[in-house]
Amino acid sequence: MENSTERKLFGFKLPPKTVWTKRAKSDLRTGLLFLSPWLIGFLAFTLYPMVVSFYYSFTIYHSKRAPEWVGLQNYANLFADDKFWISLNNTLYMVAIAVPLGLFASFVCALLLNLKVRGQAFYRVIYFLPSIVPTVAGTILFLWLLNPQVGLVNTVLAKVGIDGPNWMADPNWSKPALILLGMWGMGGTIIIYLSGLQDVPQSLIEAAELDGANWFQRLWHITIPMVSPITLFNLITGMIGMFQYFAQAYVVGGGDSLGRPLNSTLFYSVYLYQNAFLYLKMGYASAMAWILFIIILILTLLLLKVSDRFTYYSG
Amino acid sequence: MMNPASHLTSNRSRQPEHDPRRDRTAHKIRSLFISTLSHGLIIFVGMFFAVPFLWMLLTSFKSDKDVFHTPPRWLPHDAVRVEINGEEYPIYNVKTEDGVKQYAALKIESGVAYFVDPAYPDVVIPTKLQQGTERVAELVEEVSFRWQNFPDAMNRGSRPGVGASFWVYFRNSLVIAFFMIVGTLVSNTPVAYAFARLKFPGRDVLFVIVLATMMLPFQVTMIPVYLLFNDTLGWGDTFLPLIIPAFFANAWDVFLLRQFFRTIPEEMCDAARVDGASEWQIFTQIVLPISTPVLATITVFTFLYAWNDFTGPLLFLNSPRNFTMALGLQDFQGQNIIIWNQLMAAATVFTLPIIVAFFFAQKTFIQGIKLTGSKE
Repeated sequence: MENSTERKLFGFKLPPKTVWTKRAKSDLRTGLLFLSPWLIGFLAFTLYPMVVSFYYSFTIYHSKRAPEWVGLQNYANLFADDKFWISLNNTLYMVAIAVPLGLFASFVCALLLNLKVRGQAFYRVIYFLPSIVPTVAGTILFLWLLNPQVGLVNTVLAKVGIDGPNWMADPNWSKPALILLGMWGMGGTIIIYLSGLQDVPQSLIEAAELDGANWFQRLWHITIPMVSPITLFNLITGMIGMFQYFAQAYVVGGGDSLGRPLNSTLFYSVYLYQNAFLYLKMGYASAMAWILFIIILILTLLLLKVSDRFTYYSG
Repeated sequence: MMNPASHLTSNRSRQPEHDPRRDRTAHKIRSLFISTLSHGLIIFVGMFFAVPFLWMLLTSFKSDKDVFHTPPRWLPHDAVRVEINGEEYPIYNVKTEDGVKQYAALKIESGVAYFVDPAYPDVVIPTKLQQGTERVAELVEEVSFRWQNFPDAMNRGSRPGVGASFWVYFRNSLVIAFFMIVGTLVSNTPVAYAFARLKFPGRDVLFVIVLATMMLPFQVTMIPVYLLFNDTLGWGDTFLPLIIPAFFANAWDVFLLRQFFRTIPEEMCDAARVDGASEWQIFTQIVLPISTPVLATITVFTFLYAWNDFTGPLLFLNSPRNFTMALGLQDFQGQNIIIWNQLMAAATVFTLPIIVAFFFAQKTFIQGIKLTGSKE
């Protein structure tokens, strides 16, 4: 019918219409056979749960009793729920501060590890190792380091005359403490940046050097634009990950007093978990999950749109 | 050789006439300065990464008392002990009228220590420890690594007396990780091969769906999946809800494997096709055998994921005998009294397999991280 024009859906190019020859049918059969693990998994563990949780989000559902349709009640209740806004605020704080700060620090570390000095292989291992320490172990270690009375950090601070904060026990300092923990484990991002730095063509830098560009100018006009796709990738994955921030906060909350102190570590996913599995408000939690999904979707598309202007893709 | 550009910029203004020897010395000093500065900066920032890690290791070797020593010391210390009549007693430096003597303290009760000179163990010298403003006895300590913390922590578990220890958690974590690795390898490879090499209608649309699921937060599917495993299938408090999904492929591994499979020369497969090999034969006999590097990457990363996972076990495992290391460690920390040295010992044991894996497969680790970070 419209063989001449390109078929498009939401801006994606669609493949030409299939002609159902015998060959095509047999190709499809082989293809689906190879795909079957993913197809079954997608239907059972992604598509079906998505549909069901979307339905639950319009119901009151206390796991044992059958779901009861209440329309938009859960969403209305959420918008009137103080703890929902607190948890969203806490999460946005981390997305807005921890993610960019982590990216900046990772980039600086990658620059350091890219310097031409002896022993870099050793230094790189040191910077990287904390990132493979299991999350729960790392969080407990930081609870110990940042212990207000006997922790290493505050005793060292006291030595130089600084009265250290109560860190995880102080609602104003609990999130900065978690940000420190996150930065301790950013080795993966550093490695990604480092490999990006190594891909920057040496000829470009030498040309700029000849033109009299100083170190900072070369960084600003060559290196940073060249690694901008990596920055975008890390920004998006970091943002998505931060919206699902859970294990660290759970460990800090000690399980039975999630969000302590004073709800300052009550992050979105923590409050969602609390609703689903401690208060057994499955419908309410499902509504939260869908709001989360929509926020992530909008922010991702926004970042991709805005970044078009700032991201440089070579070849 | 000297870099002509840097020579020009650094010396042009100050030195109108060129003295090659002075130039060379200036360059040497300059590069020494830069190298020292670089090392200094790298080490300074590196402390942020190294110190917490070292502190975990060192704390796990400290005695119960030494953990709370003020100010904190780097190396673990313990009392020097002496054996008297088959029992061990700590040694003190005691100020006496004849100067400072090293006595063993048999016991200390309400501020009074019962000292003996190890040479004459029968003569007990009761001494008030605090005389006026002066403390007359100081414990003699030496650097000593308390290895006993490790068996103590491992045998203890997060809640002593319920028949589960960190040994059990360790085994559980290993079992889950093993089956997840098997499942991931078996299920993701054919899927990735189909997306990379097979041509069939609908392939590209399906691949877009695969990529789209990467953006889907786990929380959206969490509740129905939980109810499916826990209530419908009755798999609560078993490893099945953690293991079974690994046998049904996932977007990240499919993507990573597909990237690799696409680099395999098409001609190799075409030659086999001409010889009448089926797609399954090409996949198992040609593609898989030359894919060992990427399969190693997948293995390492699945192990890392399984070993580290906290949310999955938290949702599905209830009784301590089924806990994983992550869950057990959190449970241990959540108790009212925190035994820091044992907690750090358990955390060290938890971390150790990953560190070992890293040093054996450093290239695989780094390669995997770069692959996940690379754009299409």
